[in-house]
Amino acid sequence: MIELRGVSKTVDSGGHPLTILHPLDYTIRSGQFVAIVGPSGSGKSTLLGLIAGLDAPTSGQILIDGTDITTLSEDGLARLRGGKIGFVFQFFHLVPSLTAFENVLVPMEIARRKDANGRARQLLEEVGLTERAHHYPSQLSGGEQQRVAIARALANDPPIVLADEPTGNLDSSTGRHILELLLNVRRRHEMTLVLVTHDAELASLADTRLVLRDGRPVEPAIEAAR
Amino acid sequence: MTFVFRMAMREIRASWKRLLFFFICIAIGVASIVAIRSVIQGIRAALSGQARALLASDALVTSNRPWTAPVLERLQAEADGGRITARSQAVEVLTMVRPTDRAGAPARMVELRAIEPAFPFYGTLTLEGQVYSHALLRNRGVLVRPELLAQFGVGVGDRIQIGKQQFEIRGTIASEPGRRLGAFTLGPRVFVDLADLDSTGLLAFGSRASYQMLLRVPDPALETLVTDLRAAFSNEFVGVRHYRRTEDRVEENLTRAEDYLSLVGLVVLILGGIGISSVTRVFVQQKLRSIAVLKCVGSTSAQVLGVYMTQVLLLGIAGSALGVALAAVVMALLPSFLGELAAMLPANYGLTPSAVLQGLAVGLLVSILFSVVPLLEVRHVKPSLLLRDAPRTAAPIDWIKWGVTLAVGVALVGVAAWQAGSLEVGLMLSGGLIATLFVLNLAGLLLVRAVQPLRHARSFALRHAVLHVTRPGSQTRVILLAVGLGTFFILGVRSVQANLLRDFAVQVGPNAPDMFLIDIQQGQRDAVAAFLDEANGAAPGPRLMPVLRARVVGVEGREVDLENYEEVRRGRGLSREYTVTYRSQLETNESVVAGEWWDDTPVTGEPEVSIEEEVADPMHFEGDDRRGREAGPGEAPPARRLGRIQVGDRMRFDVLGRIVTARVTSVRKVEWEDFRAGGFVFVFRPGSFAGAPHTFISAFKGPDDAAARARMQTALVTAHPNVSVIDLREILRTFQEIVSNITLAVTVVGGLVLLSGALILIGAVSMTKFRRIYEAAILKTLGASGRLVATMLLLEYGVLGAIAGTIGALGAIVLSWAIATHALEFPWEWSASITFGGIVLTALFVAAVGVLASLDVLRHKPLATLRAE
Repeated sequence: MIELRGVSKTVDSGGHPLTILHPLDYTIRSGQFVAIVGPSGSGKSTLLGLIAGLDAPTSGQILIDGTDITTLSEDGLARLRGGKIGFVFQFFHLVPSLTAFENVLVPMEIARRKDANGRARQLLEEVGLTERAHHYPSQLSGGEQQRVAIARALANDPPIVLADEPTGNLDSSTGRHILELLLNVRRRHEMTLVLVTHDAELASLADTRLVLRDGRPVEPAIEAAR
Repeated sequence: MTFVFRMAMREIRASWKRLLFFFICIAIGVASIVAIRSVIQGIRAALSGQARALLASDALVTSNRPWTAPVLERLQAEADGGRITARSQAVEVLTMVRPTDRAGAPARMVELRAIEPAFPFYGTLTLEGQVYSHALLRNRGVLVRPELLAQFGVGVGDRIQIGKQQFEIRGTIASEPGRRLGAFTLGPRVFVDLADLDSTGLLAFGSRASYQMLLRVPDPALETLVTDLRAAFSNEFVGVRHYRRTEDRVEENLTRAEDYLSLVGLVVLILGGIGISSVTRVFVQQKLRSIAVLKCVGSTSAQVLGVYMTQVLLLGIAGSALGVALAAVVMALLPSFLGELAAMLPANYGLTPSAVLQGLAVGLLVSILFSVVPLLEVRHVKPSLLLRDAPRTAAPIDWIKWGVTLAVGVALVGVAAWQAGSLEVGLMLSGGLIATLFVLNLAGLLLVRAVQPLRHARSFALRHAVLHVTRPGSQTRVILLAVGLGTFFILGVRSVQANLLRDFAVQVGPNAPDMFLIDIQQGQRDAVAAFLDEANGAAPGPRLMPVLRARVVGVEGREVDLENYEEVRRGRGLSREYTVTYRSQLETNESVVAGEWWDDTPVTGEPEVSIEEEVADPMHFEGDDRRGREAGPGEAPPARRLGRIQVGDRMRFDVLGRIVTARVTSVRKVEWEDFRAGGFVFVFRPGSFAGAPHTFISAFKGPDDAAARARMQTALVTAHPNVSVIDLREILRTFQEIVSNITLAVTVVGGLVLLSGALILIGAVSMTKFRRIYEAAILKTLGASGRLVATMLLLEYGVLGAIAGTIGALGAIVLSWAIATHALEFPWEWSASITFGGIVLTALFVAAVGVLASLDVLRHKPLATLRAE
């Protein structure tokens, strides 16, 4: 379960404070699929980054399974991410010096999983990239890179997957494939999925939608969980 | 750990090409350290236990005078008492020889050694193609060095004239025990039988001979015997040495040579280290995203730091190992390169374990120390970078980074001190290096600023070239440091050499004397003078200067009171044997600073002496003569020896056994650099040595034509076999050879530094190439031709090279000036050709290396590049 209590983010913009995210209370139950939607600059990615502990909020608490992650150190956050959170970026962010296989392997090596090699192969198979396992990111298409990124996000069987516009950098048909893959995987692994998108069609597939505008939730759009 | 190690291996796989050059720098530095240490340790191992061979005996008694009865009696008594088990006499004398059968062949100066059958007690006298036995010398046989045969065009079986006697050449010397390698000699070695020496007439009165008594001594008695003999001979002008002292000194000198020479390797290593530091900074910048990704998928800062430290460690090991391999290759090639020198020094030219370990350790340490601070940056990489380019907030002071920087500094001083074998030298080296780097950096900054106006140049290529040099994040600074330092070394040494040779040539100027005659006997005086007058033609005839050899054996003065030679020896640096003269006039290079010069009339009563001002001043000699001599028990307290010898004081001289007491009537200042008129520390008033036998020397300008010079020398030596001719032109040639050898050695060092500079340059280029390829692609898309891009690159590196060259040239001017005026004390002159030639060559060199390293930039097709971005 993810609980946000009065979470806000203010950054310094040319000497002036700029509030990207106004204090927000929100709860995401385990296994839920939540879509965060809104126009560019509305604070969607910032919120997702805060949940992943990639950034620290200016105020408020973020509880993941009861742990207040705002009290954790950088390294504590890294360990939390390694075990509980998988992240998929709009721009894939694979390590360019590693092959597809190695990119999937890395989180498991960090977590010292014994079955890392076998599982990496299995994950690549799951995303349909067995043939391309030993290619470098520069040798893969955008869709293929994103599939590697999804395999990597799933590597340690995290209960939570956060995806930041995972199809935003892909053409529509590839994007649809990626999305289907993500949703299939989510169903199979029964994980919480929080997805940032401005694709209305995509958002409609979610259990819940959180609509942001100028760093604030837009009230009517918040629907009660079904 | 497995993650860290695996990740490091993967990173190396991806980036080793970009980091390669820096680790080649490490390899070169390690190779120099390992090779230098191995060679010297090899020589040391070869020499250890052979110290006896250096003396050819257990103990050696030497004197510049024939043995006196008390000395011989004492040695006999020791032999009877069993403390000396064998004795063998030898005499060394400088003389001229010439081939007997070839009329008109030039005479050559040789260092003759006359020996007895028992020579040598230790070591071997090796001949080419035969085994030495004393029988070869019997009945006027002579052994000579091959170079003498070559000079004379004669061979074994031919005859040469030594003094009044003819000798038959019976063999050629390959090596002899104790002959110092590379030492300055006045001529090649020649061996004759001591029994034949008298017949040559070379031991005439006043000739410069060294009398030697080689002793074989049972080991337990050695130290006490030498101490006893020293005490017994304290007033006899006799020196006593034993092999253990020689061994200690050789050991000490070799250790120092090893440590100091290895510092060259350390400097190259540190330069490589600076390159590593700079490249690591760029490397971390390029890896920001990957680092953020690693942190995003759960790795801690410590793990990321571990990955990159392991990478550096592995590359450091690889570089150091490559260095050891390079050193092994150098060592394998060395004997053939050294040629004859290697044969004379039968050392085992292989790598020694201690040298290899030191090289590996230092290489690794430098790699780690120089990369750790820039790598600490990975701690500050935030994973939020992956969401958006976070504005760089002003970070609070990073105490860990400063602490580590400090620790690294201390560790580097430690490494330098360890390598130099002295904390003081380590500190000096580090301080000097920091100061040099600071100054070079500052000069670079100023020069980069000075070329700024070119940003508005008309030429598009030049404008952009300058922009590239001055843009932030370029590798300008590190390239300037590395290349500038190399240029600085090479140009500095070249200017010192040029000045040194010019200065010497000035002193041997067209009208200055360039031939010296020594050992002219009184009876030959008129004949030699007449000969010179005739040879000289219309020019005024050369003067013959009377010379005597004297020792100071006492001083009675207001501030100095030394009763006998023993006290003189202990008290001040007056103990050596002086060549003294008498004359009525002051020379042009002398001036009186105290007292009064005598008039033309010979002295009738008490002898008078004029002393050189530095002898008068005791401070000048502080520690000079006493270095390396242990204080004996009951040594005289130093109270009475500190003070000036003043006008009016009396000095006692032993002039070949005769005591002359002279009053000091003046103190002179002598311009020693101007040696044409000769320099004498003690000049006596004529009449002071009434009746004493003495010899004459002469200095004159010989013929310019080499053949005429040789003819003149031969004629002179034929008529007067005991007279020696010292040809300044030959000494000048020898001097030039020595200077160019030293210059070559230091140039090799500068070359190594410049090579590392080039490698750092190549490395820096390949490190920032991706940016250039991108820029070139955009420029090409906008219509720039390949030629324009090439011109831009050429100009950019040309400007960079010109700046580096200027830094080096300016530094070289300061360095050569400082060495000339402070260390070597000769007039310094600026050489435009070295300065400007150096700048132009450096600019061309850097431009060539830079463009060659950037060929990729020219080759890449713009579309592919832009797509990849």
